[in-house]
Amino acid sequence: MKKSTIITILCVVAIVPMLMLVFSIKEAKAVQNEINATPEIAKLEPRSYEWGKHYPRQYGSYMQTEESSEILDVLEENPALVIMWAGYGFSKDYNAPRGHFYILEDNINTLRTGAPVDMKTGPMPTACWACKSPDVPRLIDKMGETDFFTGKWARHGGEIVNPVGCADCHDNETMALTVTRDWLKRGLDAEGSRPFAKATHQDMRTLVCAQCHSEYYFKATKWTDENGEEKVAKVVTYPWDEGTSAEEIEKYYDDRDFVDWTHKLSKTPMLKAQHPGYETFITGVHGKNGLACADCHMPYVREGGVKYSNHKVQSPLEDIANTCLNCHSGTEDEFTSTVERKLERKEELHRMAMSVLAKAHLEAAKAWELGATDEEMAPILQDIRHGQWRWDYAIAAHGSFFHAPEETLRVLGSAINQGQDARIKLRIVLAKYDAADYEAPDFSSKEKAQVLIGLPFDQLVDEKNEFLTGLKQEWFVEGEEKGIYDPRSREGMKLKTSYIE
Amino acid sequence: MKIVATCSVVAALIVFGYLVAESQMLSYLSSEPEVCITCHTMNTHYATWQHSSHRAEATCVDCHLPQDSFTKKMFAKARDGFNHSKAMTFSTYGANLRISDDAASRIQENCIRCHDSLVSQMVENAQRYSRTSSHVRGGRMCWDCHRGVPHGVTRNLSATQQNFVHN
Repeated sequence: MKKSTIITILCVVAIVPMLMLVFSIKEAKAVQNEINATPEIAKLEPRSYEWGKHYPRQYGSYMQTEESSEILDVLEENPALVIMWAGYGFSKDYNAPRGHFYILEDNINTLRTGAPVDMKTGPMPTACWACKSPDVPRLIDKMGETDFFTGKWARHGGEIVNPVGCADCHDNETMALTVTRDWLKRGLDAEGSRPFAKATHQDMRTLVCAQCHSEYYFKATKWTDENGEEKVAKVVTYPWDEGTSAEEIEKYYDDRDFVDWTHKLSKTPMLKAQHPGYETFITGVHGKNGLACADCHMPYVREGGVKYSNHKVQSPLEDIANTCLNCHSGTEDEFTSTVERKLERKEELHRMAMSVLAKAHLEAAKAWELGATDEEMAPILQDIRHGQWRWDYAIAAHGSFFHAPEETLRVLGSAINQGQDARIKLRIVLAKYDAADYEAPDFSSKEKAQVLIGLPFDQLVDEKNEFLTGLKQEWFVEGEEKGIYDPRSREGMKLKTSYIE
Repeated sequence: MKIVATCSVVAALIVFGYLVAESQMLSYLSSEPEVCITCHTMNTHYATWQHSSHRAEATCVDCHLPQDSFTKKMFAKARDGFNHSKAMTFSTYGANLRISDDAASRIQENCIRCHDSLVSQMVENAQRYSRTSSHVRGGRMCWDCHRGVPHGVTRNLSATQQNFVHN
């Protein structure tokens, strides 16, 4: 055979398998591109269903938060609260929180948000939406923070239509944990010891929760819009400049003469604590040992060979095997009873504090009625303000008794002390006005208490019912028309409140 | 005929060049773990390694290639390259990949190399074992007991779904 023929044959013999390899590589690359493709999710996409198409396990477990559907009326359980919050929304309606599935529904249904009839009516500002929906960062991105925070709650009615979901905590391109509420970053930087820029992935597993489960207030901020009109925005702000303890935040508010509301009965310049979950958690043993919220409230679970974070955010006691027992040895029963005992201790001091503070308010009201002066009452009102602030700080985050039991009990102790200090001073004033043996009236039921504070409960309920059948329904229709509303987020939703039979 | 022969040689060289480009052949000269996931078959193993105790201490080549001599390493790479290409072209592998005896002995050598101070006595005592495998030093594979290290206990390629390999 000729040399050139041999060469040709050899080349062909070499080319064939090389080409086969090339083609199999090309095929494999096409599959690889499919696997590695980042799902196309719009920036700040508020409809969690769109994210769920690509992450069915996380979405599916998140939707299971629908299971916690029962309403627990906290005001019925503790009627003293009605007295303590006289003149403030919480005296109207306060339920134990349900799962995240209900976060928007409960915000809209509560008597606290009132019964607006249009975009400009109702008792609450727009900031009340701030922690309830991924439509909030979407809107803030669209209109800017100060504009978002201006106006009444009802202003954003047809725009905020999805409950808390994927977009609140995850970046749409990388799925990385991300903070969508800038006030958290500002608060952390103001406090200084845990600047946001230094947050690790483990820190983020707490910080995405701290976007909402922290104490806040609405800071009145003046601004001028593009038409030259002067407006006031109520901006969600974290009061952490002095620190995150009960005393430090108290000082922050006192230094600014900040008042959440003036108590209807005792005229005390009051403070309200809203769930300082983050602030208390970091002082407790689990926080100090580097655990994050997600470690216990979103534990890893395994389905076959796949491991993912369980997005059914709930009490860790519902899944002790995957939460406590990852690190602790012991039995489920032991842990349940240990936690129950912790709760009992908190309840003991909690009930004491409520009784003391409610009576202090009622006794102060009597003193005013008998003609007490501002000068006589000022130190008493300070004690009540501080006492109730501390009590609220200790219990407003319902898990604090567990996250930071020592701090919770310590602060409750100081609350009881301040409340009693107020009442000792009140006895002197009452004695001066010939009422030394005055006893506060009976407030042993929610109904009695609401009558005592002059709350027009039936009227509020009637107005609310009109809102529920009217404007509320319109909002979701609007949202659907705008293409931002995901009806699956409300599938199977039954209207449940504390005031509808 | 000479022209045909010349054209065939040129064609072969062009196809070879194309193959080098498509397969990123030159990248296999490096030791970066990311090179191993040029083939998405290895995604599971990359991901499980990234979540394992060895993630900061050992990369793919630290365990899977001989580290005691350059020539041995290069010949091993060449053997692997040939076998991988064959398997890829003819789709001879399924979802449950298992290493060959040759690869197992390489890995064992590397386990012993890094963990020498811990296992040297054990390796010596291995002569007294009654049941042994001949292809690994010490007679028993380290991972007969240390089963999860580092690629986890669930070995199937579908075990790590939605596995976005991030750097």
